[in-house]
Amino acid sequence: MVFGKRSIITLAVLAVIIGWVYYFLTARGITYIWHWEQIPQLLFYHGTRTAAETTPSLHLGVLMIGFILTLKISAVAIVFAIILGTIVGIARLSSEPITRAISITFVELIRNTPLLVQIYIIYFFVGSMLRLSAFAAGTAALAIFEGAYVGEIVRAGIQSIHKGQMEAARSLGMSYGKAMRHIVLPQAFKRIIPPLAGQFISLVKDSSLVSVIALADLMFQGQQAVARTYSAFEIYFTVAALYLVMTSVLSMATQYIERRLAISD
Amino acid sequence: MIKVNHLYKTFKTPNRKEVKALVDFSAHIQKGEVVVIIGPSGSGKSTFLRCLNRLEEVDSGEIIIDGQSILEKKADINKVREELGMVFQHFNLFPHKTVIENVTLAQLIVRKRQKEKAMKIARDLLEKVGIADKESNYPSQLSGGQQQRVAIARALAMQPKIMMFDEATSALDPEMIGEVLEVMKTLAREGMTMLAVTHEMGFAREVSDRVIFMDGGQIVEEGTAEHFFNNPIHDRTKLFLSQIL
Repeated sequence: MVFGKRSIITLAVLAVIIGWVYYFLTARGITYIWHWEQIPQLLFYHGTRTAAETTPSLHLGVLMIGFILTLKISAVAIVFAIILGTIVGIARLSSEPITRAISITFVELIRNTPLLVQIYIIYFFVGSMLRLSAFAAGTAALAIFEGAYVGEIVRAGIQSIHKGQMEAARSLGMSYGKAMRHIVLPQAFKRIIPPLAGQFISLVKDSSLVSVIALADLMFQGQQAVARTYSAFEIYFTVAALYLVMTSVLSMATQYIERRLAISD
Repeated sequence: MIKVNHLYKTFKTPNRKEVKALVDFSAHIQKGEVVVIIGPSGSGKSTFLRCLNRLEEVDSGEIIIDGQSILEKKADINKVREELGMVFQHFNLFPHKTVIENVTLAQLIVRKRQKEKAMKIARDLLEKVGIADKESNYPSQLSGGQQQRVAIARALAMQPKIMMFDEATSALDPEMIGEVLEVMKTLAREGMTMLAVTHEMGFAREVSDRVIFMDGGQIVEEGTAEHFFNNPIHDRTKLFLSQIL
């Protein structure tokens, strides 16, 4: 089965919530007129985009365009969060006090301030100095924020690997770097897949905050569509469902990877 | 081949107490010599081995291996370690790598051998330690004795000049000790320079050229196995032997 038991339960819960909203509105005598018919065209529509197009064809609706941008932002941010997190995690365990101090300061600074504030700082301050696009600034802010968390996860992962592994690698003549790369990190990453998956699911959801710097992601497109149509319920439910699709796929992918890597246990 | 002079090593325990692991420790080991180190726990046996390849940093003293002073700043410790094979009490095989990968990895990335050559060396060694049929297994699928034999093959694959065994049979079930000792004895008979911390007196008797008895971070007594088991001089040695034999 492509969708596991958990996805089915999630969908069932969602259906119950929507049902409850319907019931709640009718019971209160509120006559909310649902306009679900507006939703499909926000996903895909058949028509022409510009006057220049003479023959109509199938195009992505605004929500799908936002969905794809959110995917892009998340994917790029995940890659950089892993790179940054690995560096931060290793630096945190360095024998050099200065390297360690820098790593600790970075983690504390980033974890203890709100992401929303960081996005504004990076976009308006750093971004305008370095002439970053909204995409670059938003993605960088996300990668830095999540990278601090990933750094702590990586550190815990490295520390969980028995020190005999490092000793065995070093006793064979491997440098610290080679021992880390070939022996310690592969084992550490295998062990931290579950917390990493949780972190990346957070990242996808946190990415909705970049809509504040006018980056037209899924959340931004949703807000715009609500402003145009006033169909707040229908659109936000759809937006939520689209986020759920992304996070569920991420969740399933990590379970698959975990099973694949369990061979050597 | 190995000259160790006036080594001092102190450990700090978590409650800030100091434990003297090696106190003015000196020893010379000749090429081809098989030296067995015995002694009560905490006597500094393992620390001595671990200082030789600098898994532990000494406080002061001198270690010269093959004419090279390895404690100097300019000494390339990775090069030194290539020549010093080490076998650990708990094997420390790489659990995410198969048996053959365990034996070839360091050959490829440290010795920079060609894949074919590394595989050939690894297969010959696995044959030698008697587990040629397990090369695609993961360490977790092997018994303790088999794992330790893979660990010996992994160390030998670097073609080191010296092999160190740090209580290589202490973590094994009794029926698996024999198979590992057999491999060690074969190596000893082939003329490998060996340093073995062990409680296996049979091994000491059969293949060792010299037995060193340590206590309190120092050598209390040393001599041939013959001397050691028949006419030990020191009371401390006699007491220890009476407890373990």
